[in-house]
Amino acid sequence: MGLLTVLKKLKQKEKEIRILMLGLDNAGKTTILKRINGEDISTISPTLGFNIKTLVHNGYKLNIWDVGGQKSIRSYWRNYFEQTDGLVWVVDSADRPDRLEDCRRELHSLLLEERLAGASLLIFANKQDLSGALSYEQIEELLDLRSIQTHHWHIIGCSAVTGANLLAGMDWIVSDIASRIYMLE
Amino acid sequence: MANKSKSTRPQNVTPEMVLKYTKPTDKFLCPLSLNKYIEFLEFRIRDMESSKVVFEVKRPSVEINWKERDLSGGDELRTIAYTFPVDFLSYKTVGTTLVFAVCPEGIQNFRMIERHYFKGKLLKSFDFTFGYCIPNSVNTWEAVYSLPELTEKQVQEMVDNPGSTLSDSFYFVDDRLIMHNKASYSYS
Ligand SMILES: Nc1nc2c(ncn2[C@@H]2O[C@H](COP(=O)(O)OP(=O)(O)O)[C@@H](O)[C@H]2O)c(=O)[nH]1
Ligand SMILES: [Mg+2]
Repeated sequence: MGLLTVLKKLKQKEKEIRILMLGLDNAGKTTILKRINGEDISTISPTLGFNIKTLVHNGYKLNIWDVGGQKSIRSYWRNYFEQTDGLVWVVDSADRPDRLEDCRRELHSLLLEERLAGASLLIFANKQDLSGALSYEQIEELLDLRSIQTHHWHIIGCSAVTGANLLAGMDWIVSDIASRIYMLE
Repeated sequence: MANKSKSTRPQNVTPEMVLKYTKPTDKFLCPLSLNKYIEFLEFRIRDMESSKVVFEVKRPSVEINWKERDLSGGDELRTIAYTFPVDFLSYKTVGTTLVFAVCPEGIQNFRMIERHYFKGKLLKSFDFTFGYCIPNSVNTWEAVYSLPELTEKQVQEMVDNPGSTLSDSFYFVDDRLIMHNKASYSYS
């Protein structure tokens, strides 16, 4: 990697933010990540490990980690919690009721994790372009988001296919993290 | 591991040490045979302004036999000479993507440090901790970064000195060096 010569050194004190994107398999995590980075989204295969983007957004250095969500690899998620500033939870808004129930349970068990205690939480109610998709209000209800007292959270309806609201969501989480970091200084 | 002959054992090259290097190393700092952990599958470069992939190499898609990998061979296997169109020096922002497969045992802590030099001077250092890698996983990392605007003179200098732009890539598993690759870059 990194072949091109960069004459300017990165600023020493550049702020680094770590965002972890999780959710059930097929929710659209990888598509979202590729979409917000202007990549081709026509040939995405299931993620069999992680998929990381390191980039600069609003003056911050962002590391976004998309970790595969198949049941068989969900048990590895905990290896990626350390130092997470923001959790992006991606939901397929057109998923089956039993999967949405799985989705609620997985999310609420993550919120009990000590190492995620300080993280801002963005919920992407993805696939809003599908006619069968539930609204973000319905997802909010089904996932029982109102009961969350432990994290700053925000839900937004989006579509990785049309690109709608993806940047608005990322903006929210980055700003929320940034304001907490400033408060600590 | 026991602490016998600390300074002569190549396993003792640490991240802290390579982060202090100010010029390319003369030699490879570990044997090829130490890499029992990862296999590179793809490398590509994207010009972020056009979103076009401008460079791509892929490993032929044959299954990796982790038990019987051929880790013999000479240093040519870990030395790459890239030749890029001179246009590459005019990109404002690029994304470099690395795709790699991980052995059946997985990795607790994986870290990469890459040092880029021009005419023996450090230009850029990447230091990325992947941390845990899932057994048998295939993982992707894209680093998107801006490049400084080069003056015509600087571009000419790089074009005129093929092989003076060099990099050392060091890969650590649990802080032990397991792979060291070198690359040189020419523009024409
Ligand atoms: N219609 C529609 N399909 C989507 C959307 N986002 C993702 N998909 C599709 O859902 C499938 C799973 O997407 P992927 O990104 O691999 O999900 P992941 O497992 O969460 O990473 C793919 O076929 C995508 O094309 C969306 O917003 N709308
Ligand atoms: Mg995926």
